[in-house]
Formats: sequence, C-alpha cells, structure tokens
Amino acid sequence: MNPLARYHDGRVSAARDVTFAITRDTVTPEIIIADGETHDVIDRWPIDDAFEVHGLANRLRLGARGRPDGARLSLTGAPLVEATRKLLPALKNQQANERREQRRLIGIASGALFSLVAAYVFGIPLLARALVPSIPPEWESQLGEATLAQIDQIIGYQGQVTFCDEDPDSLANRAIDRFARTVLADAGSSFTPDVKVVAAYIPNAFALPGGHSYYFSALLEQTETADEFAGVLAHELGHVHHRHGLDGLISTSATGLLVGFVLGDMTGLSVAGGLGAALIDTRFSREAEHEADAFAGAAGARYGFDPAALATLIERVAGDNEAGRFFQVFSTHPLTVERRVALEQLPKPPPGLRAFSDEEWTAIKLMCDRFS
Amino acid sequence: MAAGLNDSVAAPVTFTGPRDEFFGRLFGGYLLMLPTLGVYRFWVTTFKRRFYWSHTVIDGDPLEYTGTARQLLIGFLLAIAFFLPAYIALFVLSLFAGVIGEIGYVVVLGCLWFFVGYAQYRGRDFRLSRTLWRGIRFDQKGSAVAYATRRFLWSLLVVVTLGLAYPFMSASLWRYRYANTWFGDRQVSFEGTWRTIAGPYYRAYAVVAVSVGLVVGLGVTGNLRMFALAPVAVIVLGGLALVYWRSREATRMFSAIRLGPARVETTIKARSLFGQHLAFGLVWLLLAIVAWFAGSAILAVAGGAEGTLAGIRSISTNGWASAAFVVGGYVLTVGAFSLLSETILDFGWWKLVAGGSWIVNVESLGDVRAIDEDRSTLGEGFADALNVGAF
Repeated sequence: MNPLARYHDGRVSAARDVTFAITRDTVTPEIIIADGETHDVIDRWPIDDAFEVHGLANRLRLGARGRPDGARLSLTGAPLVEATRKLLPALKNQQANERREQRRLIGIASGALFSLVAAYVFGIPLLARALVPSIPPEWESQLGEATLAQIDQIIGYQGQVTFCDEDPDSLANRAIDRFARTVLADAGSSFTPDVKVVAAYIPNAFALPGGHSYYFSALLEQTETADEFAGVLAHELGHVHHRHGLDGLISTSATGLLVGFVLGDMTGLSVAGGLGAALIDTRFSREAEHEADAFAGAAGARYGFDPAALATLIERVAGDNEAGRFFQVFSTHPLTVERRVALEQLPKPPPGLRAFSDEEWTAIKLMCDRFS
Repeated sequence: MAAGLNDSVAAPVTFTGPRDEFFGRLFGGYLLMLPTLGVYRFWVTTFKRRFYWSHTVIDGDPLEYTGTARQLLIGFLLAIAFFLPAYIALFVLSLFAGVIGEIGYVVVLGCLWFFVGYAQYRGRDFRLSRTLWRGIRFDQKGSAVAYATRRFLWSLLVVVTLGLAYPFMSASLWRYRYANTWFGDRQVSFEGTWRTIAGPYYRAYAVVAVSVGLVVGLGVTGNLRMFALAPVAVIVLGGLALVYWRSREATRMFSAIRLGPARVETTIKARSLFGQHLAFGLVWLLLAIVAWFAGSAILAVAGGAEGTLAGIRSISTNGWASAAFVVGGYVLTVGAFSLLSETILDFGWWKLVAGGSWIVNVESLGDVRAIDEDRSTLGEGFADALNVGAF
C-alpha cells in the first residue's frame, strides 16, 4: 500500500487525495503520483526536478520544475515525512544551498549598509563643511529670518516676544550690541549679529543661522558675572561664525536618510524615524560645541573674559535641580568632563582687559528685573 | 454565521499558529536586525508571512506564500532610487523661507499622502500574486494610480466633512480593492455599500462627538474638578467606540466578499478585540515598571556609593556613556513596542479574522483555473519605503 498525500496539479483548483511511490531503481528515478481511489497514474515527477517549498513542521510540500508553479504534493505526519526525505536526499542539498545563498545575500546587504554608515560618520561632516562655504551667506540669513518667525511663535505670546529692555539705545543694549558686533567682525564673519534679551522661564541661550541670538531672562537671572555672560554670548556667536546651523541642517538631513535606510521609512514621517535621527545628531553636534567654545576662548583672550566661566554657569544651571541633571543626557550642549577640561585649558585673558565695564554689567544684570 | 450553518457546504477557515512559537522566532529575527543594521527585516517579514499563510487553513488546505526576502530587498532598493530625489527636494525646500517654502511643503506632503495609497495598492498586489491556495494563485488587477486618486480625493472629503463621509470612502475603497481581486481566472466581487457600515460608524461617531461635546461644555461652565477627569473619560469612551466600530466594519465588509457563488462569512466580536488591546496595555505597564527598576539599578551601579543621582551625573558628563544610554534606550523602546504590537495586536487581529471566517459554497471553487504569472517586485518596495506595510 503506497502512502497517501494531497495533490494539486497547479492548473485547476481541485484538491485530490493521492498515493505516491518513489522509484529509485529506474534510469530516471521518479515520484509516481496516482489517484487515491482508481490508482490511475496522474503524473510522474523526475526526482531531480522535485523541490521543497515552505510548509509546517511534520509536513512536506513538494513542487516540481517543468510543472505548473502551483503543482504541489503535500505529505503529513512525522514518520512519513522522514521516510520520504530519506528517499529524496537532493532536498537536503537544495536546502543547504538555499541557506548559504540567503546568508550571502544578508552579508552583502549588511556590508553595503555598514560601508554606508561609515561613509556617513566620516563623510557627512566633511561634506557639510565642503558645502557650507558654497552656500551664500545671504541665503543663510534668509533661513534665519524664516526660523525667527517660528521661534517668536513658540517662545512669545501670540507670536510677539517680550524684550527685557525695549530701548535699543539703553546702556545695556548698546554694550551688548557693541560686544557682539566687535566679536563677529574681528573674526572676519560676514554676518551681523542681533542679540535679543527676552523674557522666558527656561534658562537658555541660542543662536539662529545668520546672527539672530537669544538670551533668556531666566538664564540672565542665574548669570552672576560679566565673564559668564560674555562667555555664553561669545559661544553662541561662535556657532553663527562657523555656520553650525546650516552645517547641522545638512547633517540632520543625511541622518534622516540613514535612519530611513535602517528602519525602512524613507520619509521620516514616523515618530521612530524622526526621533532616531534627532538622537544620533545629538551625538554629532558635540564637535560643533567644542568649536564654539574655542571661538569663545579666542574672543576672551582679545576682549578680556575668562571662557571657563561658561562652564561654571552651565554647571550652576544644570545643578539647579535633579531633573536638570538628568536632562543633560539629552542636551545638545552638555557639560561633559572632556569639555570642562578643554574650557579650562583655554588661555586666560590678559589682566586689566574687560569685556564689559562695571556700569555696563550692572545695567545688563538689571535688564530683566521686572520679570523675575 | 447562521447562514453558514444552515448551508451544508460552509467550510471554516482555521488558524493554527501558536503564539509562543511566533514570538520566539520574531524575537530572534529582531535580534538579528541589530548586527545587520535592519537588513534582516526583509527576512523577518518573509518569515511572518509564511507563518500566517501556512497556518491559515481553508477547507483543509493551507495558504502558501511564495514570495522571498530577496524580492523585498530588491523592491526596497528600487524604491530608494525613486525616493532619493523627493528627499533632496524636501531638504532644499526646508532652506526656503516664507510662502515658497510653505507651498512647497504642502505640495510635497500632498504627493506623499497620494503615494501612500499607491504603495498600499502595489503592496497588496505583491502579496496576493504570491499567495497560493490549492495550487492556484491570487492576483490583483486594476490601477494603483486610480486607487490612489480615489483614496486621495475621498480623504479630502472626509476631512472637510469632519469624518461624516467616512463610510462612503470605506465602501468605495473596499469595492475597488476586492472587485479587482482574482483567484485564478475567477473575479471576486464586493457587495458592500456605505449602508453596510453606516450604523456602527455613526453610532461610534456619536459617542465620540457627545463625549467631546461634554468636555467642552464642562470647560465652558467652569466645573474644574469634572473637567480634569474628562480627558480620561474621552479616551476610554473613544477607545471603546473605536474597537466596537473596527470589529463591526471588518465583520460586515469581509462578509460582503463574493467569489462567484461562494462567499465569505466573518464574525469578529468587539469584546475579543477589546481584550487584546487591554492585554497590550497591561503588558506595557508591566514592562514600564521593569524598565524603571532596571534603569534605577544601572544608575545606582554607575553612581556607586553616592547613589542614583551621582549615577545620572556620571553618565551625563561622559560623552560616550550618555550617547550609548540614549541610543540604547531608543533602540530598546522602539524594538519592544514593535515586537509587542506584532505579537499581541497584529497576531490577534489575524487570528480573529481568520478564525471567525467561513467560506459558504466552497465546493463551487473546485473548477477555478490558473492564469499566467505576474512578477512585480517594485510595489512592495514602495510600501516599505513609506512605512505602510501590512502583515
């Protein structure tokens, strides 16, 4: 009695219960498939043409080259499957070949992706640096203007920020403007700074591409010396001078593309894609922080302030509460040990030289008093 | 179901896949995605489909998925070649200020939204043309552009009507999908109309609308204590309404599928679907608690004798440690979420739909003839690149 199996001929959707036999002694060994009731032979598959297709455990599904794509012989039951496999040793080799082929493909594809990541890690900063000088500064200023409106929308009330001191000719505003213009001009920058000291609850300061910079009242409240103030301002102007905003934009886009490759979502519309890109960029923005620190150091030596005061201020702000410390991990400019050491090694200012006079610093310090 | 039981030739669809085996192999696949930087996801997808298809048995014969990971990989690479220019266009637009930039963004996002429909249709074509039952291949004809256009215009109307037009859109898209589906030389037809799902949809809609209205009302009257509780009530009521509607829509729409004299009868219970979502939420809660303790332990170790706060400080002041902390946490969270939703929600949904379905007059499917091969690979690549892949 030949074993039973299920058979589809791949032409018509009928399912037939069949018996099958495997002949190994003839010139071309065959799988002979016969009707389960009449025992009429339905088909003969040369065993070299037979191949295994995916099925469940304890099942064996066979197809055959030269037959319709859907032609299948399906056997059920562990003893029968095992016995049949023994009679069809070629299946095992096919499977091994297939597995080797898949592994090769995975290897090639991952290797290609790895070299892409390597090209990204080492190449994109270079590429961004090469691209940035060829983008006209006017364009970057326009970009800054476009961002400006959005920033004002976020931090202001109904799109209007509140200046701590609205009079542009006040002692404080004139001193800040003089400092910022001199620092950028002496560095040979093509940008004109515009520093805004505004009322806001978050202790922060930042610069937009093109020269617009913000210093928040909450940070000014925690700023204790003129050196700290000048350090932060010079650091932000360093970002402007080195065009880090544009640099970052190019790098971020490249990161988005890379994360898209890895996660499969090329549009970056998914939260996972966007978040991943942002996190990776946190890592790479640290180099820019070191550059901005060095810029502040050079300015400090020329105009008379100690760049290490910057570290003191960041520590004071971060140490203010436990949450602050924790979120430093996610910060774009965290005070790492390396950074603190680098800041302290920058040259100290020559004695007698001062970035702001006592009167000026007192005026600046009092700018936002009505908001505290 | 009653019709199915009265009919002596109604055949059940059964799903025999064990969830623990699925989870185990999926977990292994996710781990392999790490050293391969995600390349292995094409193999994971192929595994999942083989698992679902081969465990879904209709009248004694399982489905068979004949697609391969290589096809998915090639499709993805082709899709990238297509998306790269679009990506660069988005970047350049982001540099433009003002009106030009905003119009550009709207145009590009509109194109993407259109393309999601295109990719969904092509992806469905890819899966159907690689699905066999009793040796006969399924296929999808029709035009992906025509489908995407319909979907795009309908979705605009749905937005304009605050969602009231949804049953019309749903019926139109289901009809287009199924009326263009073929099993061998036999064309599927779809008998559903907007009326098929209007009842459940508008009931669910009313629940959401009334609860949102109540919150607004409470806000206006200034009952602050009640107002604070309101969002919770809205989420619970809205969630229940969503689950109820989703189960009813699937029940009625699947049951509107005809294949000549044969037809599908599907019953999905809202409470089963709700149970799955509840389980998903509870597992997440459990994981969040475990993660909290694990995170505290790591920080305590990093902080040594000085405690957790010192740990936070030491990690935050070390550049590489903080990067590893952040990236590791990110990969873990995204991976765990994806793994759990695939094992609980996606698996559960397949099980509910397959296990709740019968094929009436299945014997009429005995003389369907095979048609020629159709080997498109590109379609699925687009679906992957737009993150709209389903099963």
